[in-house]
Amino acid sequence: MNIAEVIITINQMQVDGVIERYAIGGAVRATFHLEPVSTLDVDIFVIFRREPDSLLVSLQSIFNYLAAKGCQMEGEYAMISGWPVQFLPSTGPLVEEALAEAITVQVGETPARVFTAEHLAAIALQVGRAKDKARLLQFIEAGVLNSDRFQTIVSRHHLGEAWQRFARQFLTDTL
Amino acid sequence: MTFDLLRILASKRAFRQALATRNIVEKLAMLDELRARTLTLRAAREAAHGSSLLREDPETYRLDTKSNPS
Repeated sequence: MNIAEVIITINQMQVDGVIERYAIGGAVRATFHLEPVSTLDVDIFVIFRREPDSLLVSLQSIFNYLAAKGCQMEGEYAMISGWPVQFLPSTGPLVEEALAEAITVQVGETPARVFTAEHLAAIALQVGRAKDKARLLQFIEAGVLNSDRFQTIVSRHHLGEAWQRFARQFLTDTL
Repeated sequence: MTFDLLRILASKRAFRQALATRNIVEKLAMLDELRARTLTLRAAREAAHGSSLLREDPETYRLDTKSNPS
């Protein structure tokens, strides 16, 4: 089990043209800023290379590539170096922007593309499950976010109401 | 050892911060370990309780159609 090897494999997929661009999201991305917390999978957001004769985005080319390298598929996950990896296509303007503005961070000798902390926080706000709210709160408490940049993203993606609700619920003592 | 709650909370916060500032390679290795541990615990729990546990729904990033109209 080795996340570092997952990142190497994803980079190679980009070099080999299987995916156009990627960024790590979810709990693994959060770990770059916070203390490690247990997670069961790795979320990789991707922009696919579209097949010339198809309007549909398909994961098939990714699965074929990984299967040829000996990776097993389990449901919607590809097992890479012992980790279930979920490839998530961009599903809206916020994720598209997050992918476009993703940054490169070194993991030892390996470069890794990751969402900015502000985009990850905005996606957490948008998704809005309990664990997303907890992560957003952790980011705020850890002082990870650039407030201006975060507020700009929140406003641009019409998340103002969700942010106000979150702030009322969790930040009333500190506002 | 102390029973002073404020000191306990401060100590926990300091520990979390110390972990957060570790090298990313080290932190990712911790994720590997944590996942291995979680899988072991889950298997033991399921063996003991069957499928009666309450779980959160699987991850989806496509929920909010109001703020994400595409």
